[in-house]
This record gives sequence, structure tokens and C-alpha cells, in this order.
Amino acid sequence: MSIGGSDLDRAITQLRACRPIPENQVRELCYKARELLIEEGNVVGVDAPVTICGDIHGQFHDLMELFRVGGDVPDTNYLFMGDFVDRGFYSLESFLLLLCLKVRYPDRITLIRGNHESRQITTVYGFYDECLRKYGSANVWRYCCEVFDYLALGALVTGAATTLDPTDGPIADNVNCELPDSEMDIEIETLNANGEIMFRYARNGDSQSSAASQANSNPASSSPIGPTPSRSGAAGTGATSSANGSTRNDTGAILCVHGGLSPLIDSIDKIRLLDRKQEVPHEGAMCDLLWSDPDEIDGWGLSPRGAGFLFGADIVKCFNYKNDLSLIARAHQLVMEGFKEMFDSTIVTVWSAPNYCYRCGNVAAILELGEDGSNAGYQRRSNGDRGGGGGGWILGSNAGPNGTNDENRRLSSVLGESMQKPRDGPGRRYRVFEAAPQDSRGMPAKKPVADYFL
Amino acid sequence: MSSSNQIPNLRTLVGRGRRGGLRGRARGGPGASSESSAAVRDSAVRATDQDAAGSRVSCVELGYLDDAYAKLFATQPSARRLPLLNRGSYVRTTAIDLLIDRFLATPTRGLKQIISLGAGTDTRYWRLRDKHPDTPLIYHELDFPANAASKLLSVQRHSELQDALGASDLGLAGPQQSYHSSTYNLHALDLRLLAAADTASLPDLPNLSPSANTLILSEMCLCYLQPQMVKQIMHTLTTHYLSPDTPASLVLYEPIRPNDAFGRTMISNLATRNIHLPTLLTYPELTDQRARLNEYGFVDGRGAVDTAFVWREWVSGEEKERVGQLEMLDEMEELELLLRHYCVCWGWRDGDEHRDEERDGEGGLFRRAWEGVQGNNAG
Repeated sequence: MSIGGSDLDRAITQLRACRPIPENQVRELCYKARELLIEEGNVVGVDAPVTICGDIHGQFHDLMELFRVGGDVPDTNYLFMGDFVDRGFYSLESFLLLLCLKVRYPDRITLIRGNHESRQITTVYGFYDECLRKYGSANVWRYCCEVFDYLALGALVTGAATTLDPTDGPIADNVNCELPDSEMDIEIETLNANGEIMFRYARNGDSQSSAASQANSNPASSSPIGPTPSRSGAAGTGATSSANGSTRNDTGAILCVHGGLSPLIDSIDKIRLLDRKQEVPHEGAMCDLLWSDPDEIDGWGLSPRGAGFLFGADIVKCFNYKNDLSLIARAHQLVMEGFKEMFDSTIVTVWSAPNYCYRCGNVAAILELGEDGSNAGYQRRSNGDRGGGGGGWILGSNAGPNGTNDENRRLSSVLGESMQKPRDGPGRRYRVFEAAPQDSRGMPAKKPVADYFL
Repeated sequence: MSSSNQIPNLRTLVGRGRRGGLRGRARGGPGASSESSAAVRDSAVRATDQDAAGSRVSCVELGYLDDAYAKLFATQPSARRLPLLNRGSYVRTTAIDLLIDRFLATPTRGLKQIISLGAGTDTRYWRLRDKHPDTPLIYHELDFPANAASKLLSVQRHSELQDALGASDLGLAGPQQSYHSSTYNLHALDLRLLAAADTASLPDLPNLSPSANTLILSEMCLCYLQPQMVKQIMHTLTTHYLSPDTPASLVLYEPIRPNDAFGRTMISNLATRNIHLPTLLTYPELTDQRARLNEYGFVDGRGAVDTAFVWREWVSGEEKERVGQLEMLDEMEELELLLRHYCVCWGWRDGDEHRDEERDGEGGLFRRAWEGVQGNNAG
């Protein structure tokens, strides 16, 4: 049978109910998905508006909660930064649903590869066992792994607005600080799962008080949602230092990648040159992109994970400057508050698996980037570099004329002594949500039980 | 449980009634779970032993721990645990081994004795015999009769375990619950009997020396009991079974930090398994644990660390590298969370006689053994 049209919609309906689809349909779906993914470049071009999501890890019911909070497909465009499978009980249903949505709405949903989308890792962390248990053979696991090999390694979001249209919603109960005037240019907004405003930050410096008091708000409230991560004092963040000049600056592009940077990669073009259609290697640039972590160090460091590297603020700022990026969005690390901006908001970790492994007690987040109204002429919905090897303008500074490159070199040489004025970051709306209620999970209350030391 | 065992088969769940679950807040603790009878809870606690045995086997098979005896006690087929659980089991065993090895390696005139509470399938006695063959040591294990009987059955089944006890046939014709000898003793009893206020009704613990330098070990045991009862048990052990001036110490391994998001989730998850940890709420932080040891009479010295600290500070760089290479461990943040929520605590009293020795410059046994062990200073 072929999976397309109404069959596909039927499969989506079945998967949305957390019921696996038959093996022959999985084979067909994976074949279709591969045909689609093979056309995508290593770095997929994505237009704002888009909602960026981190690790899912088979927590199907929490993925449904994510769609409830962030809007359903295809009404909301999504970019998932990998780690769909392993650890949770429903890796199969989660990944296949995302894959169905990708095949059904290819321009509305982007999937990039995480370090768990690998044969080796899925045999240790549960996805292989889950497929075996649910189908009685490893065929489905094999089909999925073949799809993993075709997933893009990164995405480049362009056309994001520098400021947010303030949400016209109620203020969350536990906010005890003054929110900046909605007349101001809003750079960051944090909403809870009900769309109530928990935090708002204006691009202009005089809103620092709200950011500062935010850090102290709600330390031990009855709400399980902890305080939004402190921006360690608004002073010194990229947002405030660029508060001069035009308030509607064009923001640079946003690079999305599962893990982080690689010492072997100094430009986005170098990512494009990799041969990605393979199992994730144990070392090298492709491995690093999926395994590395930002850390409070100078330069590069060894990763305790045994793969990838640690990289410091200097690395991120230099890379962003060179590639005309305003932000790197990545996943890969559990953060208790769902998201964490680092290095003067030049990089953010987004984590979308609430109460990770049913044990960690964390909340999850997704990151919404709005569309830059001034760029309305460029309505580009095609996903990937299809038919062009990369449309010039999405490549950032490196695709520019020679003059731009010379300019880059000149500026790079002084980078590090005093930072160049960075690109304004995009307006960022974080929606924070908790795990789906246990009784919606369709499993006995005694399950799931995470392991402890007993 | 292996990850594959944890994945519910969806088909078997169809049509099964859905029950409202515990969510978010912890509801554990005394009086909060009247629906679960004491018997159900006891059996849940007894069942934790096979959890520990399985974890130990997984660790041994992957090369984290060197323990030839672990698999002889596991009654369930071994299943590979997640890398972070293997790492956690490794850290836990390494920390307790370090304290015990230092105790056994420190010279003293007197005998040494270890009392292991809720020992279950622990292999420590056999490992210590191999490692410290020349140290005179009396070893006692106390556990529920069912667990004790099952342990003796394993000993009977495996000659390498039996030979180490120096008894060719254990004198065991049929199933037994207790075993006694001059070196190894397994006392089948419910620990709570030791909380009896009336000393006349306390059970006899054969071969327990009232005067030997004694280390009491509770590895995930006393945490299942009410704090007041634990206090009474410790009082009985340190003043009735041991003479009040006998040098004695307590080494604890149990969960801490119940009040953050991870801790609240832990309490709620374990409650669904009918497991409740009363001491966790009473002694939430390392400072509380240290104060608790003082309260039990271990007034001459105390230390407490969380197991994240153990991994960072007690494990050598070389060993970290060896362990790090055993498995690719992706879950660094989760591991840190998990390790921060378990602690190892130790406290001692050196006894009057030994305080005199200390004045002469030698110092008590426990002080000499543990003085250099680094503790977390932060609460």
C-alpha cells in the first residue's frame, strides 16, 4: 500500500492517539520521508515565524502538551532540534508522528538530527528495545535509523523580528515585578502554559529593574514552575549594549543545531560541505555538532560525555560574528527551567521534555520567533536548499561579495579585544510548560516508575 | 529493570481502567498513605534488595566494579542498566568501600566488627575477606527473615560463597534463616525489634562482641524507618549490644534534598511503588545529617558528602578516566542531579579509653582512619 493523502491523514490520527501504525506503513512512511529529506541541505533554511523545540525523548504525551501550548501543525511552524527518541516510553509514536507531519506538511515542520538519532545510542537508551517490544522484530527500528541518516544537521532561521508584539494576555499570578510598558520594544517574553505573562524584557536599558526582580521572584511559591532563568543582571547582556541606534534593526540569522559548535567548523558553509548521510561518527565535525555543549570556559575543552567538545563564550561570539548570526539555538542539555540563555544571549539552550525521564522534575520550554514585518516581501516557505545549493541571502555574510569577506577579516582580527557591536538578537518568546497530567497518559498510575538507588 | 522491561506493552494496557495518579507534589510520608497496608510496604521495602542486586550485577558485567560474588546472589536474570545508574551504583559502592577500607586498614590492638543493617544480597563480607585476609573481623548482617533465608540459599548453592565462610556444609540441612560463626553472622530479624524500650525483650545477637571496634553500616536501610525508631535502634545498638565506651561509628548511605523539583518527584515516584522514606524529610540537607549523627552519640567526628562530590573529589583522575571509557554516558545533567540527591555520612565515637590514647598522641581508631576524608563543607 502507499502512504499518501488520506492514508497519511489516517496514520496521523492513529499516531495522535498514541497507537503505533503497522509495519508496512512505517516502511512506506520512512521511504517517503527519506525522499524528502535527501533534498534538504545539511543546513536547512527556515523562515520566521517559527517555534523552536528541544529534546522530546519519547515523551509522547508531553509532545501533545507542547502542541497544545505552542499551537497545532500546520497552524504553527515548528523546528525540532533532535533527540526525538530514547528514554521515554513512546519514542516510536513520537518520532513517527513527527515524521508523518513532516511528510504531510514539509514546509511547516523541520526536523534536524540529535545525537540520539543514531544506531549505537538507540540500542543503549531504549528506542531499539521499544521497537522490538512493539513489533516483535527490529525492522521498524532499522527503517527509522535509515531516516536518521538523512536528517539535516542544522537549520538557519532568517527573517525573524527583533522585537515581539507584546502578548495581550493576563499577568501570571506569581509575577511580583513591574513589567515594562508594552509601548516599548519587547525583546524577551516568557509565558506559562496558559499564555499568562511571567516575564517581559524590553530592549531598552531602562527596563533592567524588571529583569533583576524577575530573578528573585517566586523562589518557593506553590507553583511547580520555578523562576524564569535569571539573565544575571540585565547590564552587560547583548540586549542592553545594543540599545542604541535603530530599534528595528535587521536581526542576524539564528543557527539551530542539536549540540553546538565544533573546532573543525568556523563557518556555516563548512557544515554544508559535510557528508551527513551516515551513522553519527564517534568524532569529527558532524559528531561535534550533535554532541558539544557551551560551558563557562575560554576556548575549547574536553567534554565529559566522551564525544564532542565544550566551548566558551569567545568561541560563540566569534562564530556568530563571522557568520552574521544573532543567536545560536541548541538543545541537548537538560535545563530545569526549560531554557537558558548564555554568553550575553548569544546562545540559548531549549529543552522540551518536561519532568525528563519522569524523574527530573524540570519544566520544558519552546522558543517562538516572530516574523519581521519589514521583510514581508520575502515570503519563502520552501524548506531547504532545494534546486539552488542555497539561496544566496540565507547564507549570511560568507555568501556576500568579496568586500564583505574582507570586512569580516578586518573585524575578526580585532574581535576578542573589544567586541564588535553584535547583531540585535531576535525577539524571543518562551512558552514554559509542565508535564502532561499523569491521568492523560493512558497508562496505569504505577507506571511510569523511574529507577532510583534502593 | 532494564529499559526494555520498563516500556509498557501498549496492547496489554488497552481496556485497563485508568487511575488518577500522583502528580507533582509529594504525598509521601507518615500517615499520608493509609491506603497501603504496613504489609504491602514491608514487602515493597524487601523487594528493593533485588533492585540493588541487579544494579550490582550490571555494574560488574560492564567493568565498573570488580565483584565476582555479585551474580551469585542475584535471583533475577541480569539486565543492563542505564549508564547513569551504573555510574551511580559505582559511586555509591566506591564511597562506602573507601570508608570501610580505611577502617580495616588502620592498625589497632583490638578486634574489628562490622554490623550491616538490611544487608540483603550485599557481597561486601566476601569481598572484604579477599581484600583484607589478615584483619581479624567479625561481620554481622541483619535483615528480614525472608531476605536472610534467600541469602543463605544462595550461599548453599555456591561453593565459593560457602568455602569463604570456612564451613563446608554450613550445617544446613534444609532452609535456614540465620547463620552464626566466629567471623560471619546473618541474623534473621525485623530491625524494628531493636527499638524495643524493654531490654529484656530484645533479641539475642549471637557472636556480637560488645567491645570490638564497631562500624555500623546502613546502605539504604534506616531511611525506610521512622526517625524516632531509628534513633531508638541506634541507642540500642550503641549502648546495649555494644558497651557505651566501645569505639563505634555509623556509615549511612541514603537520599537527601527532598525539597527541590527532583526531590519532590523522587518522593512521588517512590510512593507509587509503596516506598516511603521518612528520614529524607527529617534530615533533608547534609548539615541535618551531620547533626543527626551527633544526636546518635557519634560525638567525636562526623562527615557528610553528596555522591556528586564523591565522584568529583574522591575518585582519582585516573579512575575517572577508566570509568568514563566503560560506556558512552550522554546524560550528564541528569547524572549530576541524581548524584546530588544521595549522600554518604559517617560519624564516630572513639570511646573513653581511646580518648586517653589520643592524649598520648596516637588518637582513636576512627579518627586515624577517617581524619583525612574530605567532606562537603556546604550544607
